Amino acid sequence: MLTLEKPKASVTPIKKINPVFQVKDLNIYYGDTLAVKDVSVQFPERAITALIGPSGCGKSTFLRTFNRMNDLIPEARATGEVIYQEWNILDPRLDVVALRKEIGMLFQKPNPFPKSIYENVVHGLKCAGVKKKAVLDEAVEISLKQADLWDETRDRLTKSALSLSGGQQQRLCLARALALKPKVLLLDEPTSALDPISTAKIEELLLELMKEMTIIIVTHNMQQAARIADYTAFFFQGRLEEYGATAALFEAPKVERTKQYLSGQFG
Amino acid sequence: MLKAKHVDRLMTGLMIGSAMIMAGILIFLLGIILLRGASHISLSFLTSNSSSFQAGGGIKNQLWNSFYLLVLTMVFTVPIGLLGGIYFAEYAKDNKWTSFLRSCVELLASLPSIIVGMFGMLLFVNVFGWGFSILSGALTLTIFNMPVMIQVSEAALRAIPNHQRHGSAALGATRWQTVKTVLLPAAFPALLTGMILSAGRVFGESAALIFTAGLTTPNLHFRQWHLFAMDSPFNPMRTAETLSVHIWAVNTVGIIPDAAQVAAGASAVLVLVILLFNLSARIIGRMIERGIKGN
Repeated sequence: MLTLEKPKASVTPIKKINPVFQVKDLNIYYGDTLAVKDVSVQFPERAITALIGPSGCGKSTFLRTFNRMNDLIPEARATGEVIYQEWNILDPRLDVVALRKEIGMLFQKPNPFPKSIYENVVHGLKCAGVKKKAVLDEAVEISLKQADLWDETRDRLTKSALSLSGGQQQRLCLARALALKPKVLLLDEPTSALDPISTAKIEELLLELMKEMTIIIVTHNMQQAARIADYTAFFFQGRLEEYGATAALFEAPKVERTKQYLSGQFG
Repeated sequence: MLKAKHVDRLMTGLMIGSAMIMAGILIFLLGIILLRGASHISLSFLTSNSSSFQAGGGIKNQLWNSFYLLVLTMVFTVPIGLLGGIYFAEYAKDNKWTSFLRSCVELLASLPSIIVGMFGMLLFVNVFGWGFSILSGALTLTIFNMPVMIQVSEAALRAIPNHQRHGSAALGATRWQTVKTVLLPAAFPALLTGMILSAGRVFGESAALIFTAGLTTPNLHFRQWHLFAMDSPFNPMRTAETLSVHIWAVNTVGIIPDAAQVAAGASAVLVLVILLFNLSARIIGRMIERGIKGN
Protein backbone atom coordinates (compact mmCIF):
# COMPACT_ATOMS: atom_id res chain seq x y z
CA MET A 1 0.00 0.00 0.00
CA LEU A 2 1.31 3.44 -0.89
CA THR A 3 1.18 6.36 1.45
CA LEU A 4 2.24 9.85 0.56
CA GLU A 5 2.92 10.98 4.02
CA LYS A 6 5.00 9.19 6.59
CA PRO A 7 2.98 9.01 9.81
CA LYS A 8 4.63 11.03 12.48
CA ALA A 9 6.43 9.14 15.21
CA SER A 10 6.92 10.71 18.58
CA VAL A 11 10.29 9.92 20.01
CA THR A 12 10.97 11.84 23.18
CA PRO A 13 14.72 12.22 23.65
CA ILE A 14 15.84 10.71 26.91
CA LYS A 15 18.13 13.00 28.79
CA LYS A 16 21.40 12.11 30.41
CA ILE A 17 21.66 8.60 29.09
CA ASN A 18 24.47 6.44 27.94
CA PRO A 19 22.84 4.74 25.00
CA VAL A 20 23.71 1.06 24.82
CA PHE A 21 22.12 0.72 21.40
CA GLN A 22 21.78 3.40 18.74
CA VAL A 23 19.45 2.29 16.00
CA LYS A 24 19.51 4.27 12.76
CA ASP A 25 17.07 3.78 9.88
CA LEU A 26 16.58 0.12 10.59
CA ASN A 27 14.50 -1.85 8.08
CA ILE A 28 13.99 -5.59 8.37
CA TYR A 29 12.56 -7.70 5.57
CA TYR A 30 11.20 -11.23 5.47
CA GLY A 31 11.59 -11.97 1.79
CA ASP A 32 9.61 -9.12 0.23
CA THR A 33 7.65 -8.22 3.35
CA LEU A 34 8.86 -5.27 5.35
CA ALA A 35 8.51 -6.25 9.00
CA VAL A 36 10.30 -3.32 10.66
CA LYS A 37 10.18 0.09 8.96
CA ASP A 38 12.60 2.99 9.34
CA VAL A 39 13.21 2.69 13.05
CA SER A 40 15.65 5.11 14.64
CA VAL A 41 15.97 5.08 18.42
CA GLN A 42 18.42 4.92 21.30
CA PHE A 43 18.12 2.65 24.29
CA PRO A 44 19.63 3.63 27.65
CA GLU A 45 22.05 1.60 29.68
CA ARG A 46 21.09 -0.11 32.96
CA ALA A 47 17.38 0.37 32.53
CA ILE A 48 14.41 -1.70 31.51
CA THR A 49 12.91 -0.82 28.17
CA ALA A 50 9.65 -2.44 27.15
CA LEU A 51 8.60 -3.00 23.55
CA ILE A 52 4.82 -3.14 23.25
CA GLY A 53 2.34 -3.32 20.41
CA PRO A 54 -0.23 -5.63 18.83
CA SER A 55 0.71 -9.06 17.44
CA GLY A 56 2.69 -8.86 14.23
CA CYS A 57 3.82 -5.28 14.83
CA GLY A 58 7.47 -6.26 14.43
CA LYS A 59 8.54 -5.88 18.05
CA SER A 60 9.97 -9.40 18.37
CA THR A 61 11.72 -9.12 15.01
CA PHE A 62 13.16 -5.83 16.19
CA LEU A 63 14.35 -7.41 19.45
CA ARG A 64 16.07 -10.27 17.65
CA THR A 65 18.20 -7.77 15.71
CA PHE A 66 20.26 -6.97 18.77
CA ASN A 67 21.79 -10.44 19.03
CA ARG A 68 21.40 -11.24 15.34
CA MET A 69 18.98 -14.10 16.00
CA ASN A 70 17.27 -13.18 12.73
CA ASP A 71 20.31 -14.79 11.07
CA LEU A 72 18.67 -18.12 11.84
CA ILE A 73 15.70 -17.20 9.65
CA PRO A 74 16.95 -17.77 6.09
CA GLU A 75 14.83 -15.14 4.32
CA ALA A 76 15.33 -12.34 6.88
CA ARG A 77 17.62 -9.40 6.05
CA ALA A 78 18.17 -5.98 7.57
CA THR A 79 19.37 -2.56 6.40
CA GLY A 80 20.42 0.43 8.47
CA GLU A 81 22.65 0.57 11.51
CA VAL A 82 22.51 -0.76 15.03
CA ILE A 83 25.47 0.64 16.93
CA TYR A 84 26.57 -1.25 20.02
CA GLN A 85 29.75 0.02 21.64
CA GLU A 86 31.91 0.79 18.62
CA TRP A 87 30.41 -1.85 16.33
CA ASN A 88 27.57 -2.01 13.91
CA ILE A 89 25.72 -5.16 14.91
CA LEU A 90 24.39 -5.57 11.37
CA ASP A 91 27.90 -5.78 9.92
CA PRO A 92 28.12 -9.25 8.35
CA ARG A 93 31.77 -9.48 9.44
CA LEU A 94 30.82 -9.16 13.12
CA ASP A 95 31.53 -12.22 15.27
CA VAL A 96 27.96 -13.14 16.24
CA VAL A 97 29.15 -15.85 18.61
CA ALA A 98 31.01 -13.23 20.66
CA LEU A 99 28.09 -10.83 20.38
CA ARG A 100 25.64 -13.38 21.79
CA LYS A 101 27.86 -13.94 24.79
CA GLU A 102 27.48 -10.29 25.72
CA ILE A 103 23.84 -10.04 24.78
CA GLY A 104 21.80 -12.79 26.36
CA MET A 105 18.27 -13.79 25.46
CA LEU A 106 15.24 -15.34 27.10
CA PHE A 107 12.45 -16.78 24.98
CA GLN A 108 8.69 -16.95 25.15
CA LYS A 109 8.56 -20.62 26.01
CA PRO A 110 11.05 -21.96 28.55
CA ASN A 111 13.51 -23.97 26.46
CA PRO A 112 15.89 -25.82 28.75
CA PHE A 113 18.04 -28.45 27.06
CA PRO A 114 17.17 -32.05 27.84
CA LYS A 115 20.18 -32.35 30.12
CA SER A 116 20.96 -31.86 33.78
CA ILE A 117 20.34 -28.54 35.51
CA TYR A 118 24.10 -28.13 35.91
CA GLU A 119 24.80 -28.79 32.23
CA ASN A 120 22.15 -26.27 31.23
CA VAL A 121 23.78 -23.50 33.24
CA VAL A 122 27.31 -24.18 32.00
CA HIS A 123 26.34 -24.66 28.33
CA GLY A 124 27.38 -21.17 27.27
CA LEU A 125 30.57 -21.25 29.28
CA LYS A 126 31.59 -24.64 27.94
CA CYS A 127 30.95 -23.46 24.40
CA ALA A 128 33.18 -20.48 25.18
CA GLY A 129 35.93 -22.93 26.09
CA VAL A 130 35.80 -22.78 29.89
CA LYS A 131 36.86 -26.18 31.19
CA LYS A 132 37.94 -25.76 34.80
CA LYS A 133 35.48 -27.45 37.09
CA ALA A 134 35.96 -24.93 39.91
CA VAL A 135 35.09 -22.05 37.58
CA LEU A 136 32.04 -23.84 36.25
CA ASP A 137 30.87 -24.84 39.73
CA GLU A 138 31.15 -21.28 40.93
CA ALA A 139 29.31 -19.92 37.89
CA VAL A 140 26.49 -22.41 38.47
CA GLU A 141 26.04 -21.33 42.07
CA ILE A 142 26.22 -17.60 41.34
CA SER A 143 23.88 -17.67 38.36
CA LEU A 144 21.35 -19.93 40.04
CA LYS A 145 21.37 -17.59 43.03
CA GLN A 146 20.88 -14.60 40.73
CA ALA A 147 17.89 -16.36 39.21
CA ASP A 148 16.63 -17.26 42.68
CA LEU A 149 16.73 -20.96 41.84
CA TRP A 150 19.66 -22.09 43.95
CA ASP A 151 17.71 -23.15 47.02
CA GLU A 152 15.33 -25.24 44.95
CA THR A 153 18.01 -26.97 42.89
CA ARG A 154 21.23 -27.13 44.90
CA ASP A 155 20.57 -30.75 45.89
CA ARG A 156 19.49 -31.88 42.44
CA LEU A 157 21.92 -30.23 40.03
CA THR A 158 22.48 -33.52 38.24
CA LYS A 159 18.74 -34.07 37.71
CA SER A 160 17.18 -33.39 34.33
CA ALA A 161 16.17 -29.79 33.71
CA LEU A 162 12.91 -31.11 32.27
CA SER A 163 11.87 -32.28 35.73
CA LEU A 164 11.48 -28.64 36.82
CA SER A 165 8.19 -26.73 36.70
CA GLY A 166 7.54 -24.18 33.94
CA GLY A 167 8.41 -21.21 36.13
CA GLN A 168 11.56 -22.92 37.39
CA GLN A 169 12.53 -23.82 33.83
CA GLN A 170 12.27 -20.17 32.78
CA ARG A 171 14.41 -19.12 35.75
CA LEU A 172 16.91 -21.82 34.75
CA CYS A 173 17.02 -20.30 31.27
CA LEU A 174 17.64 -16.96 32.93
CA ALA A 175 20.47 -18.43 35.02
CA ARG A 176 21.90 -20.03 31.88
CA ALA A 177 22.03 -16.60 30.21
CA LEU A 178 23.42 -14.92 33.33
CA ALA A 179 26.25 -17.43 33.59
CA LEU A 180 27.92 -15.62 30.68
CA LYS A 181 27.76 -12.31 32.58
CA PRO A 182 25.95 -10.52 29.76
CA LYS A 183 25.82 -6.74 29.46
CA VAL A 184 22.41 -6.81 27.88
CA LEU A 185 19.47 -9.14 28.38
CA LEU A 186 16.84 -9.45 25.67
CA LEU A 187 13.52 -10.97 26.69
CA ASP A 188 10.86 -12.05 24.21
CA GLU A 189 7.59 -12.27 26.16
CA PRO A 190 9.36 -14.27 28.87
CA THR A 191 6.32 -14.69 31.10
CA SER A 192 3.55 -15.32 28.59
CA ALA A 193 3.68 -19.06 29.28
CA LEU A 194 3.90 -18.68 33.06
CA ASP A 195 1.40 -18.43 35.92
CA PRO A 196 1.03 -15.13 37.83
CA ILE A 197 3.26 -16.19 40.72
CA SER A 198 6.12 -17.25 38.45
CA THR A 199 5.58 -14.06 36.46
CA ALA A 200 5.90 -11.90 39.57
CA LYS A 201 9.09 -13.72 40.47
CA ILE A 202 10.65 -13.08 37.07
CA GLU A 203 9.66 -9.40 37.21
CA GLU A 204 11.22 -9.09 40.66
CA LEU A 205 14.44 -10.60 39.32
CA LEU A 206 14.51 -8.25 36.35
CA LEU A 207 14.19 -5.24 38.63
CA GLU A 208 17.17 -6.56 40.57
CA LEU A 209 19.22 -7.34 37.45
CA MET A 210 18.71 -3.94 35.81
CA LYS A 211 21.13 -2.50 38.35
CA GLU A 212 23.88 -4.36 36.54
CA MET A 213 22.67 -4.69 32.97
CA THR A 214 20.48 -3.30 30.25
CA ILE A 215 17.19 -5.09 29.80
CA ILE A 216 14.94 -4.93 26.76
CA ILE A 217 11.69 -6.82 27.08
CA VAL A 218 9.00 -7.51 24.53
CA THR A 219 5.69 -7.90 26.26
CA HIS A 220 2.09 -8.42 25.34
CA ASN A 221 1.07 -7.42 28.78
CA MET A 222 0.73 -3.67 29.17
CA GLN A 223 0.49 -3.91 32.94
CA GLN A 224 3.83 -5.66 32.93
CA ALA A 225 5.40 -2.81 30.96
CA ALA A 226 3.85 -0.31 33.35
CA ARG A 227 5.10 -2.26 36.37
CA ILE A 228 8.73 -2.78 35.49
CA ALA A 229 9.84 -0.68 32.50
CA ASP A 230 11.59 2.66 32.78
CA TYR A 231 11.02 3.34 29.10
CA THR A 232 8.46 2.02 26.69
CA ALA A 233 8.41 1.85 22.92
CA PHE A 234 5.12 1.33 21.11
CA PHE A 235 5.26 -0.43 17.74
CA PHE A 236 2.50 -0.55 15.18
CA GLN A 237 2.69 -2.25 11.77
CA GLY A 238 6.46 -2.29 11.83
CA ARG A 239 6.88 1.33 12.80
CA LEU A 240 8.01 2.79 16.07
CA GLU A 241 5.05 5.03 16.86
CA GLU A 242 6.02 6.37 20.22
CA TYR A 243 8.89 6.06 22.64
CA GLY A 244 9.52 7.68 25.97
CA ALA A 245 9.49 7.30 29.74
CA THR A 246 6.92 4.67 30.68
CA ALA A 247 4.89 6.83 33.04
CA ALA A 248 4.60 9.65 30.51
CA LEU A 249 3.70 7.32 27.67
CA PHE A 250 1.02 5.54 29.64
CA GLU A 251 -0.49 8.64 31.23
CA ALA A 252 -0.28 11.07 28.33
CA PRO A 253 0.41 9.33 25.02
CA LYS A 254 1.24 11.84 22.32
CA VAL A 255 0.28 9.72 19.32
CA GLU A 256 -3.37 8.95 18.67
CA ARG A 257 -2.65 5.31 17.84
CA THR A 258 -0.82 4.78 21.15
CA LYS A 259 -3.82 6.20 22.97
CA GLN A 260 -6.12 3.82 21.12
CA TYR A 261 -3.91 0.82 21.83
CA LEU A 262 -3.48 1.62 25.50
CA SER A 263 -7.22 2.11 25.92
CA GLY A 264 -7.81 -1.30 24.35
CA GLN A 265 -9.48 -0.15 21.14
CA PHE A 266 -7.41 -2.72 19.19
CA GLY A 267 -4.78 -5.15 20.04
CA MET B 1 -27.64 -41.71 1.85
CA LEU B 2 -25.26 -42.52 4.63
CA LYS B 3 -25.13 -40.23 7.57
CA ALA B 4 -21.77 -38.73 8.58
CA LYS B 5 -21.94 -40.69 11.80
CA HIS B 6 -22.28 -43.97 9.91
CA VAL B 7 -19.45 -43.07 7.56
CA ASP B 8 -17.32 -42.33 10.58
CA ARG B 9 -18.13 -45.70 12.08
CA LEU B 10 -17.47 -47.46 8.78
CA MET B 11 -14.08 -45.81 8.31
CA THR B 12 -13.08 -46.57 11.89
CA GLY B 13 -14.00 -50.19 11.26
CA LEU B 14 -11.95 -50.32 8.06
CA MET B 15 -8.94 -48.83 9.77
CA ILE B 16 -9.12 -51.24 12.67
CA GLY B 17 -9.55 -54.02 10.13
CA SER B 18 -6.39 -53.02 8.25
CA ALA B 19 -4.37 -52.90 11.44
CA MET B 20 -5.74 -56.32 12.43
CA ILE B 21 -4.84 -57.84 9.06
CA MET B 22 -1.28 -56.61 9.45
CA ALA B 23 -0.95 -57.88 13.00
CA GLY B 24 -2.60 -61.16 11.96
CA ILE B 25 -0.16 -61.76 9.11
CA LEU B 26 2.79 -61.04 11.38
CA ILE B 27 1.61 -63.37 14.13
CA PHE B 28 0.79 -66.10 11.60
CA LEU B 29 4.19 -65.74 9.92
CA LEU B 30 6.16 -65.71 13.14
CA GLY B 31 4.09 -68.60 14.47
CA ILE B 32 4.76 -70.80 11.45
CA ILE B 33 8.47 -70.01 11.29
CA LEU B 34 9.03 -70.49 14.99
CA LEU B 35 6.84 -73.61 15.25
CA ARG B 36 8.58 -75.29 12.31
CA GLY B 37 12.05 -74.21 13.34
CA ALA B 38 11.98 -74.37 17.11
CA SER B 39 12.18 -78.15 17.25
CA HIS B 40 15.40 -78.00 15.29
CA ILE B 41 17.09 -75.37 17.43
CA SER B 42 19.43 -76.92 19.94
CA LEU B 43 22.74 -76.08 21.50
CA SER B 44 24.55 -78.35 19.06
CA PHE B 45 22.72 -76.78 16.12
CA LEU B 46 23.98 -73.35 17.21
CA THR B 47 27.51 -74.46 18.04
CA SER B 48 28.49 -76.93 15.34
CA ASN B 49 29.80 -76.45 11.83
CA SER B 50 27.48 -76.81 8.89
CA SER B 51 27.84 -79.93 6.85
CA SER B 52 28.07 -80.17 3.10
CA PHE B 53 26.73 -83.65 2.42
CA GLN B 54 25.51 -85.32 5.58
CA ALA B 55 22.61 -84.54 7.83
CA GLY B 56 23.03 -82.94 11.26
CA GLY B 57 25.02 -79.82 10.33
CA GLY B 58 24.82 -76.68 12.45
CA ILE B 59 24.98 -72.93 11.85
CA LYS B 60 27.78 -71.79 14.14
CA ASN B 61 29.93 -70.10 11.49
CA GLN B 62 26.97 -68.63 9.65
CA LEU B 63 25.69 -67.05 12.85
CA TRP B 64 29.13 -65.66 13.60
CA ASN B 65 29.50 -64.35 10.05
CA SER B 66 26.18 -62.57 10.23
CA PHE B 67 27.14 -60.73 13.42
CA TYR B 68 30.65 -59.94 12.25
CA LEU B 69 29.40 -58.56 8.93
CA LEU B 70 26.77 -56.57 10.77
CA VAL B 71 29.33 -54.99 13.09
CA LEU B 72 31.66 -54.08 10.23
CA THR B 73 28.78 -52.68 8.20
CA MET B 74 27.60 -50.54 11.11
CA VAL B 75 31.16 -49.30 11.69
CA PHE B 76 31.13 -47.96 8.12
CA THR B 77 27.47 -46.92 8.02
CA VAL B 78 26.93 -45.07 11.27
CA PRO B 79 29.52 -42.29 10.86
CA ILE B 80 28.65 -41.64 7.20
CA GLY B 81 24.92 -41.86 7.84
CA LEU B 82 25.10 -39.61 10.86
CA LEU B 83 27.21 -36.95 9.13
CA GLY B 84 24.97 -37.05 6.07
CA GLY B 85 21.86 -36.73 8.22
CA ILE B 86 23.36 -33.81 10.16
CA TYR B 87 24.19 -32.11 6.88
CA PHE B 88 20.66 -32.46 5.53
CA ALA B 89 18.95 -31.49 8.79
CA GLU B 90 21.17 -28.67 10.00
CA TYR B 91 23.45 -27.32 7.30
CA ALA B 92 21.92 -27.84 3.86
CA LYS B 93 20.20 -24.78 2.45
CA ASP B 94 16.86 -25.27 0.81
CA ASN B 95 17.94 -25.13 -2.84
CA LYS B 96 18.20 -27.22 -6.00
CA TRP B 97 21.55 -28.71 -5.06
CA THR B 98 20.13 -29.97 -1.76
CA SER B 99 17.04 -31.41 -3.39
CA PHE B 100 19.26 -33.12 -5.97
CA LEU B 101 21.37 -34.66 -3.19
CA ARG B 102 18.23 -35.67 -1.33
CA SER B 103 16.83 -37.38 -4.46
CA CYS B 104 20.11 -39.28 -4.76
CA VAL B 105 19.78 -40.58 -1.22
CA GLU B 106 16.14 -41.54 -1.77
CA LEU B 107 16.97 -43.31 -5.02
CA LEU B 108 19.84 -45.18 -3.39
CA ALA B 109 17.52 -46.19 -0.55
CA SER B 110 15.02 -47.62 -2.98
CA LEU B 111 17.48 -49.64 -5.10
CA PRO B 112 16.74 -53.38 -5.00
CA SER B 113 19.36 -55.13 -2.91
CA ILE B 114 20.22 -57.55 -5.71
CA ILE B 115 21.27 -54.54 -7.85
CA VAL B 116 23.40 -53.21 -5.01
CA GLY B 117 24.88 -56.72 -4.76
CA MET B 118 25.76 -56.77 -8.47
CA PHE B 119 27.39 -53.36 -8.13
CA GLY B 120 29.36 -54.55 -5.11
CA MET B 121 30.54 -57.56 -7.05
CA LEU B 122 31.72 -55.40 -9.94
CA LEU B 123 33.48 -52.85 -7.78
CA PHE B 124 34.77 -54.57 -4.66
CA VAL B 125 35.06 -58.18 -5.79
CA ASN B 126 36.36 -57.61 -9.33
CA VAL B 127 37.80 -54.10 -9.81
CA PHE B 128 39.38 -53.88 -6.36
CA GLY B 129 40.18 -57.56 -6.50
CA TRP B 130 39.06 -58.33 -2.96
CA GLY B 131 37.20 -61.43 -4.12
CA PHE B 132 34.24 -62.84 -2.25
CA SER B 133 35.06 -61.48 1.20
CA ILE B 134 33.65 -60.05 4.37
CA LEU B 135 35.05 -56.64 3.39
CA SER B 136 33.32 -56.70 0.00
CA GLY B 137 30.10 -57.79 1.70
CA ALA B 138 30.30 -55.19 4.45
CA LEU B 139 30.94 -52.34 1.99
CA THR B 140 28.09 -53.53 -0.22
CA LEU B 141 25.77 -53.62 2.77
CA THR B 142 27.04 -50.14 3.67
CA ILE B 143 25.82 -48.86 0.30
CA PHE B 144 22.55 -50.63 0.95
CA ASN B 145 22.14 -49.31 4.48
CA MET B 146 23.75 -45.86 4.42
CA PRO B 147 20.86 -43.99 2.76
CA VAL B 148 18.48 -45.39 5.35
CA MET B 149 20.82 -44.27 8.11
CA ILE B 150 21.01 -40.78 6.59
CA GLN B 151 17.23 -40.57 6.46
CA VAL B 152 16.85 -41.85 10.01
CA SER B 153 19.42 -39.34 11.32
CA GLU B 154 17.85 -36.45 9.45
CA ALA B 155 14.39 -37.31 10.74
CA ALA B 156 15.66 -37.68 14.31
CA LEU B 157 17.31 -34.25 14.22
CA ARG B 158 14.38 -32.56 12.51
CA ALA B 159 12.08 -33.82 15.24
CA ILE B 160 13.86 -31.59 17.75
CA PRO B 161 11.99 -28.29 18.07
CA ASN B 162 13.69 -25.12 16.84
CA HIS B 163 13.60 -23.43 20.23
CA GLN B 164 16.43 -25.76 21.27
CA ARG B 165 18.61 -24.50 18.41
CA HIS B 166 17.72 -20.89 19.18
CA GLY B 167 18.35 -21.33 22.90
CA SER B 168 21.80 -22.71 22.25
CA ALA B 169 22.69 -20.11 19.59
CA ALA B 170 21.61 -17.31 21.92
CA LEU B 171 24.21 -18.57 24.42
CA GLY B 172 26.96 -18.07 21.88
CA ALA B 173 27.23 -21.66 20.68
CA THR B 174 28.39 -22.26 17.13
CA ARG B 175 26.29 -24.48 14.91
CA TRP B 176 28.57 -27.46 15.42
CA GLN B 177 28.61 -26.94 19.20
CA THR B 178 24.81 -26.92 19.15
CA VAL B 179 24.72 -30.10 17.08
CA LYS B 180 27.26 -31.84 19.27
CA THR B 181 26.09 -30.81 22.73
CA VAL B 182 22.35 -30.24 22.35
CA LEU B 183 20.87 -31.82 19.24
CA LEU B 184 22.71 -35.14 19.07
CA PRO B 185 22.11 -35.97 22.77
CA ALA B 186 18.46 -34.99 22.39
CA ALA B 187 18.12 -37.08 19.24
CA PHE B 188 20.02 -40.03 20.71
CA PRO B 189 17.02 -42.23 21.58
CA ALA B 190 15.60 -41.84 18.07
CA LEU B 191 19.04 -42.33 16.50
CA LEU B 192 19.67 -45.49 18.46
CA THR B 193 16.25 -46.90 17.63
CA GLY B 194 16.81 -46.17 13.95
CA MET B 195 20.25 -47.75 14.10
CA ILE B 196 19.05 -50.95 15.70
CA LEU B 197 16.13 -51.26 13.31
CA SER B 198 18.39 -50.82 10.31
CA ALA B 199 20.75 -53.37 11.88
CA GLY B 200 17.88 -55.83 11.65
CA ARG B 201 17.55 -55.12 7.94
CA VAL B 202 21.28 -55.68 7.44
CA PHE B 203 21.28 -58.85 9.52
CA GLY B 204 18.58 -60.41 7.37
CA GLU B 205 19.92 -59.32 3.99
CA SER B 206 20.88 -62.08 1.57
CA ALA B 207 20.65 -60.97 -2.07
CA ALA B 208 23.37 -58.33 -1.77
CA LEU B 209 25.72 -60.85 -0.14
CA ILE B 210 25.44 -63.82 -2.48
CA PHE B 211 27.78 -62.18 -5.01
CA THR B 212 29.98 -60.30 -2.56
CA ALA B 213 30.61 -62.37 0.56
CA GLY B 214 30.10 -65.73 -1.08
CA LEU B 215 28.34 -68.99 -0.33
CA THR B 216 31.08 -70.71 1.60
CA THR B 217 32.97 -70.29 4.83
CA PRO B 218 36.43 -71.65 5.49
CA ASN B 219 36.75 -74.01 8.41
CA LEU B 220 37.07 -71.40 11.18
CA HIS B 221 39.17 -71.89 14.26
CA PHE B 222 38.06 -69.58 17.02
CA ARG B 223 41.47 -69.83 18.69
CA GLN B 224 43.22 -68.58 15.56
CA TRP B 225 44.36 -65.11 16.56
CA HIS B 226 46.33 -64.38 13.43
CA LEU B 227 44.05 -61.83 11.76
CA PHE B 228 44.80 -62.71 8.14
CA ALA B 229 44.97 -66.46 8.52
CA MET B 230 42.41 -68.09 6.28
CA ASP B 231 40.78 -69.88 9.22
CA SER B 232 40.62 -66.75 11.41
CA PRO B 233 37.03 -65.76 12.19
CA PHE B 234 38.09 -62.10 12.10
CA ASN B 235 39.84 -62.21 8.74
CA PRO B 236 37.98 -59.59 6.65
CA MET B 237 39.35 -61.00 3.39
CA ARG B 238 37.87 -64.50 3.71
CA THR B 239 34.59 -65.65 2.27
CA ALA B 240 31.64 -65.67 4.62
CA GLU B 241 28.26 -67.25 4.21
CA THR B 242 25.77 -65.53 6.51
CA LEU B 243 22.71 -67.03 8.12
CA SER B 244 20.23 -65.72 5.59
CA VAL B 245 22.45 -66.66 2.66
CA HIS B 246 22.73 -70.10 4.21
CA ILE B 247 18.94 -70.43 4.27
CA TRP B 248 18.83 -69.53 0.60
CA ALA B 249 21.75 -71.81 -0.23
CA VAL B 250 20.55 -75.01 1.48
CA ASN B 251 17.17 -74.56 -0.16
CA THR B 252 18.48 -74.01 -3.67
CA VAL B 253 21.95 -75.42 -4.19
CA GLY B 254 22.32 -77.53 -1.06
CA ILE B 255 22.52 -81.31 -1.25
CA ILE B 256 22.25 -82.15 2.45
CA PRO B 257 19.41 -84.57 3.19
CA ASP B 258 18.02 -82.47 6.09
CA ALA B 259 17.98 -79.20 4.12
CA ALA B 260 14.38 -78.45 5.06
CA GLN B 261 15.02 -78.81 8.78
CA VAL B 262 18.25 -76.82 8.66
CA ALA B 263 16.50 -74.05 6.74
CA ALA B 264 13.62 -74.04 9.19
CA GLY B 265 15.93 -73.93 12.19
CA ALA B 266 18.10 -71.21 10.68
CA SER B 267 15.02 -69.17 9.75
CA ALA B 268 13.74 -69.38 13.29
CA VAL B 269 17.10 -68.21 14.66
CA LEU B 270 17.21 -65.36 12.14
CA VAL B 271 13.71 -64.21 13.02
CA LEU B 272 14.41 -64.45 16.74
CA VAL B 273 17.53 -62.30 16.44
CA ILE B 274 15.70 -59.65 14.41
CA LEU B 275 12.83 -59.74 16.88
CA LEU B 276 15.36 -59.20 19.64
CA PHE B 277 16.81 -56.19 17.77
CA ASN B 278 13.38 -54.63 17.42
CA LEU B 279 12.37 -55.20 21.02
CA SER B 280 15.67 -53.90 22.37
CA ALA B 281 15.39 -50.82 20.13
CA ARG B 282 12.06 -49.99 21.75
CA ILE B 283 13.14 -50.78 25.29
CA ILE B 284 16.51 -49.00 25.16
CA GLY B 285 15.01 -45.98 23.40
CA ARG B 286 12.33 -45.66 26.03
CA MET B 287 14.82 -46.11 28.87
CA ILE B 288 17.06 -43.31 27.61
CA GLU B 289 14.07 -41.07 27.01
CA ARG B 290 13.00 -41.57 30.60
CA GLY B 291 16.55 -40.86 31.78
CA ILE B 292 16.56 -37.55 29.90
CA LYS B 293 13.18 -36.47 31.21
CA GLY B 294 14.35 -37.33 34.70
CA ASN B 295 11.18 -38.92 36.01
